[in-house]
Amino acid sequence: MTSAASPTGPAAAPRPGEEREPDARFTFANERTFLAWSRTALALVVGGLAVAQLLPPFPGVPGARHIIGIPLILLGAAVAVFSYAEWQANQRALRRDEPLRRSLLPRFLAVTIAVIALLAAALALLSAVTSHR
Amino acid sequence: MSPSRIDDIEDVDPGLARERTELAWTRTAISFAAVGGALLRSQPAVGIPILALSLLIWELGRRPRKPGTGHARTRHLQLITVVVLGVALTALVITLVTGW
Repeated sequence: MTSAASPTGPAAAPRPGEEREPDARFTFANERTFLAWSRTALALVVGGLAVAQLLPPFPGVPGARHIIGIPLILLGAAVAVFSYAEWQANQRALRRDEPLRRSLLPRFLAVTIAVIALLAAALALLSAVTSHR
Repeated sequence: MSPSRIDDIEDVDPGLARERTELAWTRTAISFAAVGGALLRSQPAVGIPILALSLLIWELGRRPRKPGTGHARTRHLQLITVVVLGVALTALVITLVTGW
């Protein structure tokens, strides 16, 4: 029979590198964060698909919808993989009672979405200029 | 004090962490169901499997955790990652094949 300490009970600090089941609340919180990022990833994928499938074509710029949509789908895939890696790293840090690393995902997401938005604006402008000439 | 009576929910589920996590799984399942439903008309071969997976995710979120194994559910989270990647790959194929 395994003798597990109460998940919320006090315990002595572990030695460096020693692993122990963390407070259940932290494990749950880590899991919720992962799920939230997964939903974000799914939304990015579906957003990219919708851009390519549902928007009318940009006059004068063939393939513009794909130039916007495909990076969004790839971004969604990258967020899915990164969020799992971060969940794993956080869970390991919790088990070892080490500090959590700062998440790189918010900056990665913000920068990539900003670049895609600028790209979309440039394509819309290009389409407006070429089709009104 | 009777041990069978729950006087304070905080003793069973501190911070309601378990319940909030179950709700997060439910939100995730609904997200997948919405995507599957949206694809049902244009791409039923893609929409129906995603709808089926959303039911599986709903069920996984409600399933109690095995005692003694910790609370981390690595396999479940790996499944979510693989499903999102699968949807991304399918979306990529649909986008590359159609609509040019």
